[in-house]
This record gives sequence, structure tokens and C-alpha cells, in this order.
Amino acid sequence: MRLPVQDLINAYKNNVYAAAFSICKNCSDAEDVVQDTFLQYYMTRKKFDNEQHIRAWLLKVAINKAKNIQSSFWHKNKLPLDDYIETLSFETPETKELFEEVMKLPEKYRVVVHLFYYEDFSVKEIAKILRTTENNIKVRLSRGRAKLKEALKEVWEDE
Amino acid sequence: MSNREQYKKAFSVLHTSSDFILEEKKMVRLKKKALLRTLATAAAACLVIIGGSGTAYAANVGGIQRTIQLWIHGDQTNVTIDFDEAGHYSMEYDDEDGNKNEVGGGGVAIEDDGTERPLTDDELIDHLSQAIDVGYNDEGKIMLYFQGQAVDITDKFENNICYVFLKGTDTSLYVTVLKDKDGSFQFASSPDKYMQYKETEPGIYTAY
Repeated sequence: MRLPVQDLINAYKNNVYAAAFSICKNCSDAEDVVQDTFLQYYMTRKKFDNEQHIRAWLLKVAINKAKNIQSSFWHKNKLPLDDYIETLSFETPETKELFEEVMKLPEKYRVVVHLFYYEDFSVKEIAKILRTTENNIKVRLSRGRAKLKEALKEVWEDE
Repeated sequence: MSNREQYKKAFSVLHTSSDFILEEKKMVRLKKKALLRTLATAAAACLVIIGGSGTAYAANVGGIQRTIQLWIHGDQTNVTIDFDEAGHYSMEYDDEDGNKNEVGGGGVAIEDDGTERPLTDDELIDHLSQAIDVGYNDEGKIMLYFQGQAVDITDKFENNICYVFLKGTDTSLYVTVLKDKDGSFQFASSPDKYMQYKETEPGIYTAY
């Protein structure tokens, strides 16, 4: 199946942006990833099983593209992360603190934590998106949680 | 509030400011921008390879703006380039449709002792003057551009890979062009051998 790209943009552009940002930690690069990801959907002839399949594919492409930018020599004038965070409107100081601590996690933990808590993917689905084993994802998730608990104390519940 | 609810609240503040207008013309322009970005990245990667072979470079000169002529899609084009002292450049030019384009990139040279240093502006200009580009022309032909040459490579692909030897004014290049599954192109060049591609992750091809 295929869905109109404009419908997908309306539904998932902020999810794609958040996933890209969780890798790049930079708004300009994340914006580029959003455009390139939907452009790739527009150009691909790939057929999808359902909307969930498209969503997972969009996030996988966005994560790959964000990693590509990270490892390339492509640079832009980057707004420092702290300055960008100050422009965001968090509901509470606790959510701001959580955001900041997630951004301090190593990338390999950060992306797994994001896909699990924000996108509601299962360990199995994350393993498929990141092309690794479920055990690897479980370890990364566990270590990411432990680091968040250590930094956030009572703001982050034991699981 | 559960961890998941709290996490969603924290990250729901992220909103893209991208303004999408998905008309055909806009998507074509975005595709061109993506291709140019690939060009910039490929240029930088190639410079590392040249540097790694022990090429000696002059001392760094940076922080200036220059207007020069570069070959863009087979046309001599006036380009304004800003350099910083960290080996990065950004350039602006008007394309054949009159659209203003902005591209940028950068690179490092690797000295014989393995240390990296930013490229100078002259090194970047040297490389940009030898940059290649690939795209569809108005007739739907796949064209490879190098300096003043525009070579039709539409029928030269085997298994989505095409190898072309280009003879330039000062330099000749071995060019490998990969036609991606989504219809876009990646390319890499070397003065002495054809580069190969391998798919390192889904949709990501790396030249080696």
C-alpha cells in the first residue's frame, strides 16, 4: 500500500524530527533529515504492508540519514544545544530536566530509549529498525534507564 | 505520571519548522539540493583519501570570501564562496533556472604522521573545480557532469553501477556512479582507480 506523502507529513513530521534530533542534537540537521526522509518516501517505489510499516520505515530512514550526517564532513552553523533547549516550551522543570538528561546519554542508548518511550515500539521492533539483536536492544535500554535513574533520581521511576 | 508519559511530554516540545509544499517543482528542487549535498560530502571524503596518500599542502589561509567561476552542470557559473579557518566552506550561486542555491561542506587533510588539519581555501577550490555531478536532464537522460563535459551515461549501467573514465583539462578521473533504489545517485571519483560501493545499512551505500 501507499499513502499520500502529504498525509504522512502531517501525521509524522514531528516524530521524524524528534527521532532525527535525538541523533543529531541539532535543529538544522534534524530539519534536513525531515525533508530528505519524506523526499525519499516520495521517490521510492517500495510497497508497504500498512501504515505502521510506513511509520517504522520513515523512522528507520530518518535515523540512518541522521547517523550519516553525524559521520560526514557536512557542517552547518550550528545552534548550541543549550541555546536551542532554552527556546523550547517545557510544561514543567522536570520534563526539561528529563530532556536534558536524555540528550546527555550516549547515542546508542539515546536512540533506543527514544524509540521505546516516545514511539512505543517494542524491543523486537526496535531491533528490526536498528538491525541488531533483541538482546542488544534490551542491554542498551537497561543501561539507558539506569543512567536516567542515576541522574534524575525520583523524577524517573524504577522499572 | 509514568516514565513513558513524562518522556512524551518532554519530547512533544520538538516541532519541525519545515514548511512543506509538495508540488512537483518543489520536490525536484529538494532532490537537486540533496544531490548537491551528496556532492559536497563526496568532495570532502575524496580529499581525505588524497590527503591520506601523503600529499603536501600549503599553510592554512582562511576566513575570506571569494567569487570564482566553477563548472556547475556543465556551465561556467559565478560562485561566491565563504571560507572559515576550520576547513569549511559555504557557497551561493544561481542555477540555470535562476534559483538561488546554497551548498557547503568541508574536509580535512591527513598528514604523513596521521594528524588531521583543516583544508585551506585553495585546496577546497582546487577540489571543487574538479567536482563531478550526476542528474537527469530535461529529456530524462542521466548525465554526468565534469568541468565543461556533459556525458550521457543512461545506457552505461549494469546492476545499477556505472564506471566512466573522464579526461579533463588537467586531471583525468575514474568515476563510479551508483543508481540508488529510490532513483537518486551517489558517486565517487579517484584519479587512479574506480571506487566501489557496498550497502553498509539499508539505503546507505559507502564508497571504498
